[in-house]
Amino acid sequence: MKSHEQRDLFPGALEMMILRTLKRQPLHGYALAQHIKRTSNDLLQIEEGSLYPALQRLLKVELVKAEWGISATNRRVRIYKLTAAGAKHLEREVSRFERMLEGITRVLARGES
Amino acid sequence: MNWLKQLFSRRRLYGDLTEEIREHLEEKKEELVRNGMSRKDAESAARREFGNVTLVEEDSRSVWRWPSIESFLSDVRYGLRTLSYNSSFTIVAILTLALGIGANTAIFSVVYAALIRPLPYAQPSGLITLSEVRPQDGQAGQSSAPIWVSSYPDYLDWTKQSKSFQSLAGFSGDAFTLYGAGEPELVFAAQTTINFFSTLGVKPYLGRDFAAGEDIAAGPKVAILTYGCWMRRFGGDPQILGRSIRLDDKSVSIIGVLPRDFEFAPRGNAEVWVPLHIEKDLVTRRSLRWMPVIGRLAPGITPQQAQAELNSINASVAAAYPQENGAIQIVMVPLRNRIVGQVEPLLLILFGAVGFVLLIACANVTNLFLVRAAGRRREFNIRAALGAGRARLISQLLVESLILAAAGGLLGLVFAQWGTSMLIAAIPETLLTFTPFLRDAHPNLAVLAFLCIAVIFTGLAFGLAPALQVSHGRESEVLKEETRASAGGVRARLRSTLVIAEIAFCLVLLIGSALMVKSLTALLDRNPGFDTQNLLVFAVNLPATSYPKDPDAVRFDKEFTDRLSKIPGVVGVTSNSVVPLTGGGNSIRFVIEGQPVATGHENECNIRDISNNYFSVMRIALRSGRLFDDATDLDTAPKHVIVNEAWVKRYLHGEDPLGKRIRFTYSPKEPFREIVGVVGNTADAGLDSNDEASLFLPFSQDANSFINYVVRTAGNPVNALGGVRSSLRAVDPQLVVIQPFTMDQIISQSPSVFLRRYPSYLIGSFAGLALVLAIVGLYGLISYSVSQRTRELGIRIALGAQQKDVLRLVLGEGARLTLIGVLLGLAAALGLTQLMRSLLFGVSAIDPLTFVSAAIVLALVAIAACYIPARRAMSTDPSATLRYE
Repeated sequence: MKSHEQRDLFPGALEMMILRTLKRQPLHGYALAQHIKRTSNDLLQIEEGSLYPALQRLLKVELVKAEWGISATNRRVRIYKLTAAGAKHLEREVSRFERMLEGITRVLARGES
Repeated sequence: MNWLKQLFSRRRLYGDLTEEIREHLEEKKEELVRNGMSRKDAESAARREFGNVTLVEEDSRSVWRWPSIESFLSDVRYGLRTLSYNSSFTIVAILTLALGIGANTAIFSVVYAALIRPLPYAQPSGLITLSEVRPQDGQAGQSSAPIWVSSYPDYLDWTKQSKSFQSLAGFSGDAFTLYGAGEPELVFAAQTTINFFSTLGVKPYLGRDFAAGEDIAAGPKVAILTYGCWMRRFGGDPQILGRSIRLDDKSVSIIGVLPRDFEFAPRGNAEVWVPLHIEKDLVTRRSLRWMPVIGRLAPGITPQQAQAELNSINASVAAAYPQENGAIQIVMVPLRNRIVGQVEPLLLILFGAVGFVLLIACANVTNLFLVRAAGRRREFNIRAALGAGRARLISQLLVESLILAAAGGLLGLVFAQWGTSMLIAAIPETLLTFTPFLRDAHPNLAVLAFLCIAVIFTGLAFGLAPALQVSHGRESEVLKEETRASAGGVRARLRSTLVIAEIAFCLVLLIGSALMVKSLTALLDRNPGFDTQNLLVFAVNLPATSYPKDPDAVRFDKEFTDRLSKIPGVVGVTSNSVVPLTGGGNSIRFVIEGQPVATGHENECNIRDISNNYFSVMRIALRSGRLFDDATDLDTAPKHVIVNEAWVKRYLHGEDPLGKRIRFTYSPKEPFREIVGVVGNTADAGLDSNDEASLFLPFSQDANSFINYVVRTAGNPVNALGGVRSSLRAVDPQLVVIQPFTMDQIISQSPSVFLRRYPSYLIGSFAGLALVLAIVGLYGLISYSVSQRTRELGIRIALGAQQKDVLRLVLGEGARLTLIGVLLGLAAALGLTQLMRSLLFGVSAIDPLTFVSAAIVLALVAIAACYIPARRAMSTDPSATLRYE
């Protein structure tokens, strides 16, 4: 039962991308999905729906907050915004991720030479 | 309180989510349309890219909950809803389970009170009973009440020499006429060594324990009351301590009151506890074995070490007193076994039998569930299609079954409470007095824990099979209409297996109950060796102060007997030191003239002191020789004895007993006594007792102070009781009529009858319940199978099958299941009835007639149950069924 939608990502990756995107500007769900898709050049296979459970998780631990508003296309939408805690969490997660990536890269590079 | 806020705001959250997702899809669709896609394609593309909407919503929501609890709660809500849709199924299932769980809980309450609950003493596992037995006597004389006696001098030697026991205490039954608390009345009492209560670890609720020097005086000077006695007879008087009462002819001061929960089953009827007060022979004679002894093992000592030490003490005592102790062995039995030993097998058998009922109930509900699950296949397939995982479906079904089990458990608790009080009420008061622990049978924490375990067990037992079956639903078949024609497959096989098991269990119970009923009938039909009709039995106790010598007792007996004989309706009056069927009594060692035996290894048999007219009033057969008579057997006449057939068989091996002489060995001054008559055997200890060797002396030559009278009447013996009371008052107003009972009452309340009647009724009702459940199960299975095969039957009939072919087809299916069940049941019963052998009387545990007739009855009922659906199958209208579908 545990989130099938993450099968191509490591746990927490989707949340990290959401936080990063929201850091740039508050967005509603649909825009958020489109942005992540576009930015990743469709390299990542993400079902749009999988965004919502992730957003609920972030809402629950108050890393983001949401408000109903009107979108650019004049729709009633729920706009997600990064909280201060969310910004801090993102920073920490990114630096951890970078360190992890560095480690992995080194091992992979060593293996090749 | 964040979680609390979340809990309340959740409904809004969920609403938000649904709306948000809908907006998302709309926006997507609009964009796709803007990019030139048709509206219809856009719709499905949007959904495709989004993924499973229901699942996303569910996953999103699950973020907000305690997932397992909440999905459990939603399962519960859903389960309650579906169960209430199908109320007849629900009611049948709950009732079935409530009966099963209730019956089990009721029996468990009793089992807990008797067998599991520790005895109410400090560290009860350290309490041991000690008894002296002579292996050469076997269990003779005591077949229904295992021997538990020792002599006082031996007890003193153990106390002095043994290091294995922290303390050793003795006790004995007693009875007094109590004066000073309302009308003079007989109260049962117990006399104990002064360390009795401290050995048990019981402290008085009020006042003090016995103190050193208070025992072995000329009589009791102090007494401790039970809580019940204090309340009942003294109104709970707070000034009770120091108050003076009269017991028989002695003034006694009350020094204590026992705790409310104090019980001591071996003297369960004792209301007054006094220090040991014995005199003369009882103090000094080693061959008088009358006192049960309990001991508390010293810390760190094992029973084996204690036994080894006792054996060596016993050996040295035997060396010093070969005449008295030469053939004696000391037997140690845990106190618990002495107390609950007799009811243990009975209770375990009942517990096992009632467990079968629960299994059958579970099998039945499982079958109901399987049928219902089959009908709900579509529902589950749809749920699977909508994204419900297998685990979720299984948990849904398990939750439903647990709801049913819990409801059954709740109702079962009501049944259990009711059942437990019925179970206890069905025990005769006289027996309950000596099994006080059974009064404690009521729902308590342990019983509730058992109930919960039973509920979970049953819930899982009947929920698991359907749950696993349903989850077999292949997702490829999603939404397909269930194929109708076939009744085969795994599910049908499982259902058949369950019905077979039900029939097998049911047969075991039927056979068990039939064996019990047969035992009861055989027992009640047993000729106890005398005519039990119209007998009134009671006792009179002559206090030593008014009747110091034997001739005083003889004089009383004569005068009282004369008065009794004049009561209208009385046709005979007689007495014996032991009334047949009531047990107890003394034994004596003797030698037969011309048969020398080693010192200490003399024969020992029952000795009874009887009125001269005893055998004629009791209508006990005279086999040879003569009876005692008033002319010949005067107190001064030469000493004669009468023996019974068992005595002749055991000691004379077919020789002619008349004219042979025996001598009692307790004193060298004892004369030889000639055997003048042989009488038939009587069942002494109870209807199930073996014939015991007994010899009889005339009362005039061997008087007692405690006399059992037997009055034979023309009509109902109860009517003579008033006359008996006034006769006794006329002879001596100080005396009371002790324990008047008719012989019929004695029989119906006797342990031997109870031990058969009780399980007869109980296992009988269990078997009846099991029969109904199993037959309902079989009927349900066959009906269902017929309804599933309507099409097949229609085709058969259309192709020319006759009604009798259809009948044979349907009955054949039922008969096949029944036959397999009956065979398995017979095999199981062969093994299981062995376990109840100790309760059977006059019937073998594998009595072929019982086995076969129970099997035939079950088979006939089963076939009859199948006949109803078979009739329905016969009247199948082929055209109607073929048009269907």
